[in-house]
Amino acid sequence: MQMFTIGKVAKKYSLSRSTLIYYDMIGVLTPSGRSESNYRLYSDSDLKKMDRIQLFRSTGLSLEAIELLLQTESSELSSTLESRLFAINNEIEKLRDQQKVILKILENEILDKNTRVITKGVWVSMLEAAGLDEKGMKNWHVEFEKNSPEAHQDFLESIGIDKDEISAIRDWSRAEC
Amino acid sequence: MSNEVMNKEKWVLLFKEIGLDEATMTRWHREFEARYPDGHQSFLEWLNIGEDEIRHIRAL
Repeated sequence: MQMFTIGKVAKKYSLSRSTLIYYDMIGVLTPSGRSESNYRLYSDSDLKKMDRIQLFRSTGLSLEAIELLLQTESSELSSTLESRLFAINNEIEKLRDQQKVILKILENEILDKNTRVITKGVWVSMLEAAGLDEKGMKNWHVEFEKNSPEAHQDFLESIGIDKDEISAIRDWSRAEC
Repeated sequence: MSNEVMNKEKWVLLFKEIGLDEATMTRWHREFEARYPDGHQSFLEWLNIGEDEIRHIRAL
């Protein structure tokens, strides 16, 4: 039978070794084996018990209550509820992962916007500085679209204009040709 | 980014077509440099202008 050292178990459940030693001391989870040099060794069924302990811990139950639950023969109702609890925990885990991914994307998006050197505002004020009025700027878009349509797209993207506005600008630029 | 390369020549042509002359463009670079030095640099880089020429333009 495969046995697991306390280090392996601690890693698997993201717990400290001292927590596992404490669980052993208070009798919540006593490893079923010892190595020749008297190290704690956990069996598969110890791990199954550990799964349940983690499950109950995640609901906020006290260790005393958990110990009682583990000692009591589980009824059909409680094992059904336990498996439901497992399923809910998995769902929560998945949602947390999604949450992390979304936050990461949003973070990058914000960073991207803030580090953009030339924004639409900068560009408009620079075209104004060149003496272009609204008509002149329109003209600039029309010529840009006519001469280098793809670079026009790139340029508008680079100053942070959103997709819909870009296609609107390019549409009326083409219409003016 | 698209494959279409935007370069200085095309850009100058574009500005000329909308009626900006050389003198206006020089003034424009000075203005750009004074107001948004970082933006000016990244704009010139976007036009694939070499390091030395960028330095020259920014010092106009």
